[in-house]
Amino acid sequence: MNGEFIAFLILSFTAILGGILMLNLKKVVHMLLSVVLTFVSLAGIYVLLSAEFVAVVQILIYSGAVTIILAFGIMLTKHTARDERTSNRLRAALVGVGVLVFFFTVYGAIDNLFFGPGAEGLHVENTQQIGERIFAHYVIPFELVSIVLLVALMGAIVLARKEGEENK
Amino acid sequence: MIEFAWLIPALPLLTFLLLIVLREKLKKASGYVAVLISGITFIVATLVFLQLIDVGNFLMEWSWLTIGSIDISFGILLNPLNGLMLLLVAFISFLIHMYSLGYMDGDQRFSTFFAYLSLFTSAMLGLVMSPNLLQFYMFWELVGLGSFLLIGFYFYKNSAKQAAKKAFIMTRIGDVGLLIGLILLFWQTNSLRFVDIYQAVTNGDMSGGMITLIAILIFIGAIGKSGQFPLHTWLPDAMEGPTPVSALIHAATMVAAGVYLVAVMYPLYMASSLAMMIVAIVGAFTAIYAATIGLVQNDLKQVLAYSTISQLGFMMLAMGVLGYTAGIFHLFTHAFFKALLFLAAGSVIHAVHTQNIKEMGGLNQKLKLTSAVFLIGALAISGFPLFSGFFSKEEILASVWAEGQYGLFIIAIVAAFLTSVYMFRLYFLVFHGESKLTLDKVKPVPMTMKIPMMVLALFAIFSGFFNTSWFGTYIADFLEEGATYLEGIHHGSSIWLMLLATVVSLGGIALAYLIYVKNALNQENWKTSGTYQMLLNKYYMDEFYDNTFVKGSRGIGLGFQYVEKYFVRLIILFIGDLVTTFSRTGSKSQTGQAQTYTAVAFLGLVLFAAVYMLKGGY
Amino acid sequence: MTTIPLQAYLILALILFCIGLFGALTKRNTIIVLICIELMLNAVNLNLVAFSQLGNNPGITGQVFSLFTITIAAAEVAVGMAILIAWYRHKNGVNVDEMDGLKD
Repeated sequence: MNGEFIAFLILSFTAILGGILMLNLKKVVHMLLSVVLTFVSLAGIYVLLSAEFVAVVQILIYSGAVTIILAFGIMLTKHTARDERTSNRLRAALVGVGVLVFFFTVYGAIDNLFFGPGAEGLHVENTQQIGERIFAHYVIPFELVSIVLLVALMGAIVLARKEGEENK
Repeated sequence: MIEFAWLIPALPLLTFLLLIVLREKLKKASGYVAVLISGITFIVATLVFLQLIDVGNFLMEWSWLTIGSIDISFGILLNPLNGLMLLLVAFISFLIHMYSLGYMDGDQRFSTFFAYLSLFTSAMLGLVMSPNLLQFYMFWELVGLGSFLLIGFYFYKNSAKQAAKKAFIMTRIGDVGLLIGLILLFWQTNSLRFVDIYQAVTNGDMSGGMITLIAILIFIGAIGKSGQFPLHTWLPDAMEGPTPVSALIHAATMVAAGVYLVAVMYPLYMASSLAMMIVAIVGAFTAIYAATIGLVQNDLKQVLAYSTISQLGFMMLAMGVLGYTAGIFHLFTHAFFKALLFLAAGSVIHAVHTQNIKEMGGLNQKLKLTSAVFLIGALAISGFPLFSGFFSKEEILASVWAEGQYGLFIIAIVAAFLTSVYMFRLYFLVFHGESKLTLDKVKPVPMTMKIPMMVLALFAIFSGFFNTSWFGTYIADFLEEGATYLEGIHHGSSIWLMLLATVVSLGGIALAYLIYVKNALNQENWKTSGTYQMLLNKYYMDEFYDNTFVKGSRGIGLGFQYVEKYFVRLIILFIGDLVTTFSRTGSKSQTGQAQTYTAVAFLGLVLFAAVYMLKGGY
Repeated sequence: MTTIPLQAYLILALILFCIGLFGALTKRNTIIVLICIELMLNAVNLNLVAFSQLGNNPGITGQVFSLFTITIAAAEVAVGMAILIAWYRHKNGVNVDEMDGLKD
């Protein structure tokens, strides 16, 4: 029972708690905030896994950008909206059973999985390592991702723009 | 010439097709076309017949179907019997085509009538030329079809419609018997060719019981077609058709097909004394049964119809007592005088527009020729000495006597006596006595109708001389030449039989004269008696059939209707509902909601994953 | 280096994935459905990062891939949000069960 293990327990607990709260809370904004809890906890987990850069990106992108976009989405639509839990109880029950079966199925697959002692030194100059890897090996995917981002940006603008605005 | 024999049935078929296709164009001309082609058919038939007298036998076959090792052929068989029938049918058909020109004049469906008439002629000619039973059966049914179409020619009259249906259904009952017999024969002999069947009978390939069974089944077919008791009821009703049709189909040719069938299958019958006995008894019973009904009927054509049934009974009787040549000879003479009687009756009806003999009388002044030919026909059918019927009937009586069937002999004598009574009742009531019709209502008879009647009258008088014990038995000799199995059977006639026949015939005529001309006997008691009512209602046969078979089938039908209503329909409704429910559910599941679709897809994935895991798939 | 076994991370990821899946398939509000999808993506990211440390073939590549995933997820959220807003203008509602255009 070392500090690392305690940290993992706390972080994983908060992550799961965030998810469960998201499922059970009434207000949409509360749901969003509870999910932020999960995102932040996951960032901590990433640090435990020697992935500081990813952890930072997680906080920046998820806890920051994505959450803000979703919050804007909520505000622009019915921000007072409450989510009635589900539209169809039968479907919820069926999906629940299905998810449980899925859980145990996958659990059976990952139980007692062990590949070795793990990598050494990923945390040493983590950002530099990532930078080298991206720009040495994954330049083209990187550039493609930038194009995807650009297209997404334009697409978002086009879609969100009011219809018939170009006529003005 | 004989190799062109196939033209004989083909030519009327051509007429049929021509008239059906060009019905609108030809109109009045279609009648002349039909008469012309039937004339050519008759000439071809005559030439073929003349050559056949020298050749004796002719067979031409094309392979039609091959099933395993069995060959079914299609072809033409000519032997004395076929040749005689061919000539007879072609000749009478030609005369009736000509007669119809006048009789059907002005009818709306003039061309159609000739088309049907040609179809029938073609089928009948094909029938008599068939070398095997299958082809025979096909033409047999075609003949039935022609008869059906022509009986129902005035289809807008309900009675004609009913009569056509009745004829079709009643003969169909007989045809089922024929078909079963045909199948049994095929099963036993592996062939349907007449020669193979004769061979099989001669070789004793079939057991006696089987031969009897087949012979009786085939005879049932003949009963249906030839209007023998108990399937005779359609024939009087068939008089709803135009009179030329009655003359051609229901007197001279088609109804004789039953007799012809028995003649064709004669070796089979000769091998079974029981079957022969049945043929003889049915024939004799029909002869007297129909003759008694004919005594009291008041419809001109009905009386002739019953007389046809009775005469066919005579032919069957002859067939049943080994009087093969006598039966065919009577068929031959009967065709002439019965066609003549019908044509005469037709011209009476044509002139006065009624068929009820109570409304006629004294027509011999107005319709001199018709009256004369009708008298000739009546004398012929009554067996008046030296007329054709005298010789043929006398020969039948001789055959019956020679076989020692004295019971049947008495029946035949009585039936012959009754024949002359009812024929002369008809003659006296229609042509003698006081005229009950106003004079201007009587239309003249056109030439096209007169000529066939005169020709037929000649034949009615003289056709008997083709086969007499005085001048030579030409027809009998000719027939026996082609049928070797007939050897050793010859019924010579004797003087006393001729005298008896003459006495019977003259006695009948005298009785009719006394009753209907001199009113010598009191008819009132007779008319109120139960026997009279029974005869007038044809022994209540129609009512009997109606109450048993028709009502019975109706009852069964009703029962099945209820089964259909409450059982079958229930199942069908259930199935329908099932499908509807399924489709409702199915269409309801098409909500268009991506989330639901995804959920279903996910559940499917889970199912597969779970099965995979349970099978220990990792 | 780390004392926590790989399966602990994987089970955490599985739990989060299941929560996200359940929410995505049952929630009516489209924004919540989007959030749930993000949660599922996060669970996948966690797997990537865990395998980069403790996997069969450890290395920095897993982290790089998780970065790509995060980027794509961000783009997806942006487009998704834009569609949602357009839809909202059109129908004045954000519930998934009102979107049944596929039926036609």
